Amino acid sequence: MQSMALSTPQEGETPSASGNTRSGEGSALPAEPPSHLIYRHEARLRTSLSDLWASRDIIYTLAERDIRAQYKQATLGMLWALIVPMAMLGIFILIFSRTKSLGVLPGVPYPIFAYIGILCWTFFSQSLGTGGTALLNNHDLMSKTQFPRECFPLETILVTAVNTVLAWIPLVLLFIFYRIVPKPATLWVVPLMMLIEVLFTVGLTLGVAALIIQMRDLAQVLPMIIQLGLFVTPVIWQFSIIPAKWQIVYGFFNPLGPVIDDARRAMLLGGHPAPIPLMAAIAGTACYLAVGYRLFKRFEVNFADIA
Amino acid sequence: MPTLPKGSIRVEHVWKKFRADRTAPLFYDQILRARRSLTGGGGRPYRWVLKDVSVTVEPGGTLGLIGINGSGKTTLLKIISGTTYQSAGQLQAEGRLGALLSVTSGIHPDLTGRENVFLYGAVLGMRRKISRERFDEIVEFAGLADAIDRQVKFFSLGMQMRLGFSIAAFLEPDILLVDEVLSVGDANFQQKCLRRIEEVVRQGTTLVYVSHDLTSVEATCQRSLWLADAVVQAAGPTREVAALYRKSVEQDASLATSNDGVVRMLKSSITGPDGGPVLSLEDAEIQLTLNSPEAVEADFYVGVSLGTAFPMFITKYHGLFPSGDFEVKCQLHHVPLFKGRYSIWTAMTSFGKWADNPLLPWKPAVAFDAFGPDVLEPPQGVMVAAPLHVGTTWSVE
Repeated sequence: MQSMALSTPQEGETPSASGNTRSGEGSALPAEPPSHLIYRHEARLRTSLSDLWASRDIIYTLAERDIRAQYKQATLGMLWALIVPMAMLGIFILIFSRTKSLGVLPGVPYPIFAYIGILCWTFFSQSLGTGGTALLNNHDLMSKTQFPRECFPLETILVTAVNTVLAWIPLVLLFIFYRIVPKPATLWVVPLMMLIEVLFTVGLTLGVAALIIQMRDLAQVLPMIIQLGLFVTPVIWQFSIIPAKWQIVYGFFNPLGPVIDDARRAMLLGGHPAPIPLMAAIAGTACYLAVGYRLFKRFEVNFADIA
Repeated sequence: MPTLPKGSIRVEHVWKKFRADRTAPLFYDQILRARRSLTGGGGRPYRWVLKDVSVTVEPGGTLGLIGINGSGKTTLLKIISGTTYQSAGQLQAEGRLGALLSVTSGIHPDLTGRENVFLYGAVLGMRRKISRERFDEIVEFAGLADAIDRQVKFFSLGMQMRLGFSIAAFLEPDILLVDEVLSVGDANFQQKCLRRIEEVVRQGTTLVYVSHDLTSVEATCQRSLWLADAVVQAAGPTREVAALYRKSVEQDASLATSNDGVVRMLKSSITGPDGGPVLSLEDAEIQLTLNSPEAVEADFYVGVSLGTAFPMFITKYHGLFPSGDFEVKCQLHHVPLFKGRYSIWTAMTSFGKWADNPLLPWKPAVAFDAFGPDVLEPPQGVMVAAPLHVGTTWSVE
């Protein structure tokens, strides 16, 4: 048997600082941290973007997750990406095709005219609808992982983009059915318009996603606002209805107006974009992107705590 | 701030506040707060969950976080991982982080195990290419080769946890943060996980480990931090911190002891040889004085636990007990205990009208120190330090 230490430790003694054990700090602690220690969240644009770029795999994988999960249980699978916009087109044909007052481009079948608008609109509205609530829906993941929060809204936008690509198939079929060949201007106008639309959508979605965390009521109002947006955006009517002097203001606040109009006229008539509304749309998009991203980065500190 | 080498963590005077229980919707709440700060009235609308916490971990170091539920362990881990931000103070964590804060939150129930490997791998920061290369190893480690193409919603929680941990185990980050996540797996898999954690640490990864299981903290972490009520109670070598923590938990438990049975415990004590302290492998005597309103035939139980939680052994006596005050003595032969702090538990049960309620409920009666050789240092990969001391005679031929 080994030798024994018989010193009986005393009951209720305070934890002693034995060896290099540090303890019992609680006594002299102030109730609040000194002000010079207060943490201020600074998100530099450059590091934020490089972090985001480093996390691109996460965006792809989350998008893949959503796409797989979305269609795994549905019998019609990916076909739903086509069915929804086509059903919307059917409704519009039933209701609006006879109403000439809305102004359709001359010599263009109504279904093609409307479907181009629907394509643009569906991408935007679905992105905003799902992306706006992406942070809420991924709360569980967000409170346990540390990758950039932008990944969640961006991932849902990517999912919508994939669905939108599929929804182009009916458009191709419509072109074949009506024996219309898209005009050459399509080649450069449409990609430019898609870029503007994507950037606008990203900016608005990021801002809305950040605000919804702070104001849950917004999540209830959002679908209504989106529905209203369908009617104030030239999806079923033509942009030229708006008086020329107001087009610049409209284009700034709703870049989708010039985007849809220019895409349509380029594909169907070979027309070039009208410069003034387009400039307004680009300026508007830049503002949405800057403000949306700033809001997002600013509120990001709270996301994991209050979501 | 100077740049630290990869794998270092430096937490300096970190404070974290949480919004106090929310009484108004968020936005309205903010209006209220703004008004309060203008008028300067009302109590604080938040509470501190971490107060002035500082800790440094060198590259390759291991830190255990211990403390009762709600003491701020997980919040500290989340701040280190960057999941949430500190309210005050500074934080540096250099290098690639792997945080295992919850094993199932990144796993999607509708996807198959295979798809989830890539999903969770990505969420934890593993590049796709690496996930693909490590896939077979991960599945083998998880022991899920048969189930990997099944949807995860048909997995048991334990299987999900195994999948989650296996992915994290092959991350090879500079800093690995592990929250209380192993408790779901079976004992075999827990051992496997701890071995894997040790392997990762040997390769130079910094580890921060949160667990309620003190023995696993003692087996994996050199240093520990004990948090209580948002404040650092003690920090230092794990064995010392854990000992202080055990002592405090035990004091809380003995305070909770009260007499709510029919039989009351009046006095309890234990003595070693010649009335001195309890010594390893020597005899000891437990003396209890009790009071019963009537004579009963009953079973009397005496047990001993390490600290107040970890049961060591139990004995039983059946017999007649008189009414009024009486004394129970129990001789323990060759007390098989290492040096340490233990508790004696007692209970008394009977039959007939006493069948439903114990005469004396199962509770700690008295704490005591045993003196003797120290608990053997557990070898690498052995989770529970074997707590019983058995008299042995060795021979090698």
